[in-house]
Order: sequence, then C-alpha cells, then structure tokens
Amino acid sequence: MNQFVLQHGKSAELRLFPHLLEVGTKKNVSIHLNTFPTTTAEGIRIYYIIEGKFEWRIDHQSYVVYPGDVAIVLPGISFGSDNGVLEIGAFTWVHLGIQKMENGHILPGKWSGLSESEGAAIGKMLSLNSSPILSRFDEAGKILKCIHAELFGHEIGYQARINHQLDDLLIQVTRHMTRQSHPGRDFPKTFMRLEEVLRENLSHQWTVEEMAALVGLGTTLFTERVKSYSGFSPINYLINIRISEAIKLLKRPDISVTDIALDTGFYSSQHFSTTFKKLTGYRPSEFRKNHLRNI
Amino acid sequence: MKCIITIELGTNGIRVFAFDLSGRVIGSMKGYYPTFHTEPDHSEQDPEQIFITTLYVMKNLLNEYIHPKKYKVACICFSAAMHSLLAVDKNGNPLGNAITWSDNRAKKEALELRNSKAGKNLYAATGTPIHPMSPLLKIAWIKSRDKERFKLTSKFLSIKSYIIHQLTGEYKIDYSIASATGLLNIHNITWEADALQYAGITAAKLPDLVPVFANAGKLKKAYQQSLGLSADTKILVGSSDGCLATLGDGVNGEGNATITIEDSGAVRVMGPAVLKDEQMRFFNYLLTENSYVSGGPTNNGGNIFEWFTRQFGDFTHPYDIEHSTQQLIEEASQVPVGSDGLLFLPYLLGERAPIWNANARGTYFGLNIKHERKHFVRATIEGILYEIYSIGKSLAEQRTIKSLSVNGSFGTIPFCTQMLANMFNKPVRLRQQFHSVSFGAWLLSATEMGIYKSLDEAARTVELPDVYKPDKQHHAVYADYFSIFEKLSSKLFDEFEAIGNLQQKYAMTEEPVKQKIKL
Repeated sequence: MNQFVLQHGKSAELRLFPHLLEVGTKKNVSIHLNTFPTTTAEGIRIYYIIEGKFEWRIDHQSYVVYPGDVAIVLPGISFGSDNGVLEIGAFTWVHLGIQKMENGHILPGKWSGLSESEGAAIGKMLSLNSSPILSRFDEAGKILKCIHAELFGHEIGYQARINHQLDDLLIQVTRHMTRQSHPGRDFPKTFMRLEEVLRENLSHQWTVEEMAALVGLGTTLFTERVKSYSGFSPINYLINIRISEAIKLLKRPDISVTDIALDTGFYSSQHFSTTFKKLTGYRPSEFRKNHLRNI
Repeated sequence: MKCIITIELGTNGIRVFAFDLSGRVIGSMKGYYPTFHTEPDHSEQDPEQIFITTLYVMKNLLNEYIHPKKYKVACICFSAAMHSLLAVDKNGNPLGNAITWSDNRAKKEALELRNSKAGKNLYAATGTPIHPMSPLLKIAWIKSRDKERFKLTSKFLSIKSYIIHQLTGEYKIDYSIASATGLLNIHNITWEADALQYAGITAAKLPDLVPVFANAGKLKKAYQQSLGLSADTKILVGSSDGCLATLGDGVNGEGNATITIEDSGAVRVMGPAVLKDEQMRFFNYLLTENSYVSGGPTNNGGNIFEWFTRQFGDFTHPYDIEHSTQQLIEEASQVPVGSDGLLFLPYLLGERAPIWNANARGTYFGLNIKHERKHFVRATIEGILYEIYSIGKSLAEQRTIKSLSVNGSFGTIPFCTQMLANMFNKPVRLRQQFHSVSFGAWLLSATEMGIYKSLDEAARTVELPDVYKPDKQHHAVYADYFSIFEKLSSKLFDEFEAIGNLQQKYAMTEEPVKQKIKL
C-alpha cells in the first residue's frame, strides 16, 4: 500500500473531478504529536481504517475506530484527535464536495448519476444519522481502493468509473447506516424513530423513498410494513401527524393559518384547508373560532 | 339495513368494527397512535392524534364498507383502555398530553398510599388497586408536581371522555371507566369523598357519571357531514376494554373465567359481588349497577415473548416478527412438557398480580448441561403462562372456575391455548375471528337497542366455537413444576429488590446515550 495525498487545486490527477476535494492513504509507523489537528471542512469526509486503532474526536465526541470501520464526518463538523496525536496504523480517505441548498439540505452534486429525489434522500439520511461510525464495512474500503486505482491508472472510461464509484460509496454508506441502526428486528421501535424524525421535520416535503430509506427498506416492503403496523399508508400516516399538529397550533391564537399550513408540511393554505375540512368537517378558520371561544 | 359500529380506543391504537344486527362482522379497520416516553416513567399519548386517527379510521371504514352497501349506522359504541387521564382547560382544550395506564410517574405516591390505612380503605371502596396506573394517583401527582397544570384544569377526563366531547360537546364518563379511576365508590356508585379529597378535587372537575348504556349526545353537524352519518345516529358511551372482553366472551356468573393475553394480560370473572382481598391483589370494576368484573392483571404477557423473539428469533425476513414467532413456536413444540426442568419467571417488567412487586425481575432457573436453545423458547412460553395460572389460582380461592375462555393475540396462539388448558386442567374456549372487546361492545349496543332484554341474556347467547381439552398427564407435569415456580416468585423477594437497586444504581452512572438529530 502506497501513501499519497491528492488535493483539489494542487494535484493534476483531480482536474476532472472538481467535487473530489482530497483523496489519500496514510500509513503511520510511530506515534506522532501535532500531526492530526482538529479541523472543520466544507465537504463530507469519509475515512476507512485499514490497520491499527485510532482514537478520534468527531463533533466533540470521542470514538475509537478499528480496521474495517468507517468514520463519516459531515460538512461543518469538527474532526481530529486530542493534541493532534496520530496513532500507529493505516487508513484511507476521501473528501467529497457537496452541494448545500438554501434550505440546508445537502445534495451530491451534478457529477452524480443519482436522480434528484434519491440524491436528496441520501443527503437527508446522512444529515439525520446520529452515529458517525459505521462498523464492519469492508465494502467501503474496496470502493476507495478502486477509486485510487482508477485515478492513477487513467484507463479508458476512468472518469465515469470514478463517479460511479463515488455514487456507490454514498449509496453503500447510507444503506449501511440504516442497517446498523435498524437491524430489522423491532419494527415498533423503528417506526417510533421514524415518527420522531417526521415530527421534527414536519415542514419537509417527505417522499415515500426518503421515509423508506430512513428505515433501510425498499419502498414496497416499507409501505407494506407500515400499512400492516399502523393501518395507514406512509403518506396517510404523515397526513395524520400533520393534521394532529395543526390542530394544536390552531388552538393557539398567535400563529396565522398560512404559517400553520407551511409549518406542518402542506403546500399551501388552500391544500391545508381542503385536507383539514375533508377529515374534520371544519375549515381551519372555523375550527379555530370554535376552540378559542370560551365555552 | 342497520348496522352497529364499535370503536375500541386501545393502548397502541384504535380498532373500529362494523357489525350487522345479527352480530356478523361487516368490516374492520385499525389505526396506530404512538406512545411517548419523554422522561423515565412517563408514558403519554397525544389526544389530538387519537382524535384525528379516530375520525380518519371511521371515515375509511364507512367509505369502504358501510356507505357503498347502503347500511344505516344505528349506533356507535365506545370502549377504551382503562386508567388514562387528560387534563383540559375551561375551553375543553388539552393541557399537555394524555397520561396512559402504563405511566409510572406517581410510583412514590402509590407506594405511600398503598402502605397506609387510608389506602386500604380507598381500595375497598373503589375497587381499583393502589398503583401508579390509577388516575387517583396521577391527579395527586399533578396537584403536587405540576401546580400550573392543576390550577388551569377545568376537567380531568379519560381519553374516551375527550373523544366523545370532541364529537358531541358533552362531558361523560361511564361506570366502567369511572370505576377504574380509583375515585368511584363501586358499592353506591358515587364519587368517593375520601378519594376526591386525596386527589384535591371536587366532583365538578370530573365528567358526568353515566351508565354504560347512556347516550353521549348528538354528533356535531360538521362530523355528521364529513362522515356521512345522520343526526339520529346514537352515540353510546360504552364501557372499558377489560369489562367488554369479559362480556364479549359470555363470561358471566359462577363457574366461568376469561383469560386475556395481549402485550400484558389478565384473568377475570364477572358476578354480582366484589372480590374482597386483604392483600389488595384484585381489581373490581363495574359493568352495570349489579355486575362487577373482577380479577388480576399481569405486566408480562405477549410483550415478553416478543422481547424473546427479537433477541433470539431468526430475522432473515426483516421486521417480519410473525414469521420469527412462528418458527420459535415450532421449536418449542419439539421440547417435552415442562422444558426438561427449565423454569422461567417472566417478571421483566416487574409484576402486578398476584405478587404486586415492581422490583421483580426475570429469571431462568434449573438450567443443566443438557438444555438447548429450544428449551429456552418453551420455558419462556411456559413461564408467561404459569404466571397467568398463578393469577387464576388466586381467584379460585374465592370463585369456582369450571371453564375458561381466552382472548388476545398471544393467548389465542393455538400452542398457548392448549398449554393453558393443560395447566388449568380445564377446557378452554375461544373465538378466532375477532376481538372479544368489540363483540362485547356489540352485545352492549344490541341490548340498548332492545335486541336482547338484558346483558345477562346477551352474554348467555355467546357461543365460543373452538374448544381445547386438557391433557391430564401434561397437567400433572405442569402442576409439579408450578409448585417450584410459585415458591421462587416469593422466595426471591429480597434478591429482586437487591438486583433492582443495583440495576438502577449502575444505570445512573452510565453516560446517557446521546441521540442527536442534526439538520
């Protein structure tokens, strides 16, 4: 294994890949101080451990990583080790530039072959994930190795191949994340977690793909499981939560109906009004009037 | 053609059935609502989501089964889980979430009251065991720990009372749900003065007390329109899930008992007299003026086998717990009766009846080198059912039990039903196709409509078609092992407390797991 570092703007190898901010492999044979300082970066950073054992700090939390583990550092998150210590061992990494939308969502970028909705779902998954360490994830190591080989090999089609591999890396990381947090045993717990995420991001225009990806199932199986567990299709369940939250907000005099509609994820106050009336028999404004009145 | 709709507001969700006037099911639907555990010991549900889910499921059921076939809904009858509490302000708007039966926040208050003379008297008067589940203790908790909410509260409702208030504008509580609040004197059916005083409220803070047959008012116009129901649709206040499951199985009078095993479980009898118990082990709830549903509840039912399945089951099909459960039951059936001497105490969630010990913990006992994985599977099921048997045995001190019925998702698994028949050495009857609770609500509605003269007559018509007959040899083996099971469950009292304390001590020193959701 050869050590190397390629950086955007410095290394000719990366000229065709503006989204590849840094690629490298490091083998460290003795402990060094002040060589692995804490930094934050714009892109997403993915590290795969080849040998040894490292104690790293991600977003102020300490983690020990072992061979086969992957550390995922999101844009703007601090990453490094205490006193800049670099322990003995080897690892390989990639820093990937990522498109940040105005609403805070992240997307892979134009180079990616992922469809827009899938790209958004992956971005959402990455930003919602609570554990930055993915364990026993050899697949990631293989993909990084392949990217390195293609970067130096320059064989025909290498540009497309590298971008494919990067897509594959994002896909595998996302799938591994959901499988790690949802081992497929406890649907009530998984559904509860999904519920929490939906509630905390109620204004987001959730798609079934995104929800399914969050629990690590394909959309067909996901829809089936949700239906048999909750009695509702995923979208109808979401509407259920939206209206329930809207009712609570309507009982407070200080928020406009339009704001309530948007906060709870309806496209418009018209859309809100129609859905609300269909279910409850009242228009939101009528409902509000009835409930603010002293009985 | 007329039909009857029953609405069951359960612990995990709502179940709505439509029946025709002969008791045949036209259709059914369910809808889940979540339980929030925002703090340790807290267990809450969102009243607005329960209400919206109720409307949503009702609407779907009406549109799919009732309106296309031109049925006319004559009556809608409610049942609900017991012991819930919801505070509302003077406009009827909820002050926070509803607190469910499994909420333990009032455990300190409960322990103090249970060990006092006043507690004994309250139990004898109200029939509700002194336990954190009781709304009596929940109100007392709000009074002392959440003074702002207590001050703003205009009414303390049950979840069912809230849903009915949304639909009709009236505040009602039926005898059954009221008798599970710890606030009702079940002998003279008035609010118990000492209980009100303990809770720090007057009767004006509670909904109107009405019999289970009472009309809960007229459906509001908006809901008549959105649901497509006529103004003369009767809304029956109905009863509780426990009372209706007993009625629905036709269990009435001497000789009969019913076993319910869902997540948790209970053994119940029904009759004209209450069960008195110095040790306060049994509940006595009211169905009507002269009929009491009495029995003992367990915390550890199907949820314990679900726990086992999640830990040790095969999940090659993700999230398919039914498949995994079935495989384990097949494994268990390969093991001899009595699991070759491996015993399991199922107290993973502490225990209510019959030992009433919140510190109790699970135990596998009698393990030897020949035991295999499959023995654990069978022992786990046997342990859960020994506990049910143990409740039944304590009831048999006061009532003769000749035959049993069983309901609930875990109890009606054929392997479990047969095991119950063998343990009790009595025939066990059941009805596979639908929920006993909803059928009980149908019997109640049908009686109100004059199809039956009385609930007694209605209960007598119930026929449970499937019968599991006991096997005497199996019974003898179970009886031998049960005597050790029973001894262990009381003998380990000190050790249960000691291990519980250690678990709490070391749980507190552990760093809290950080669950961050970034955006």
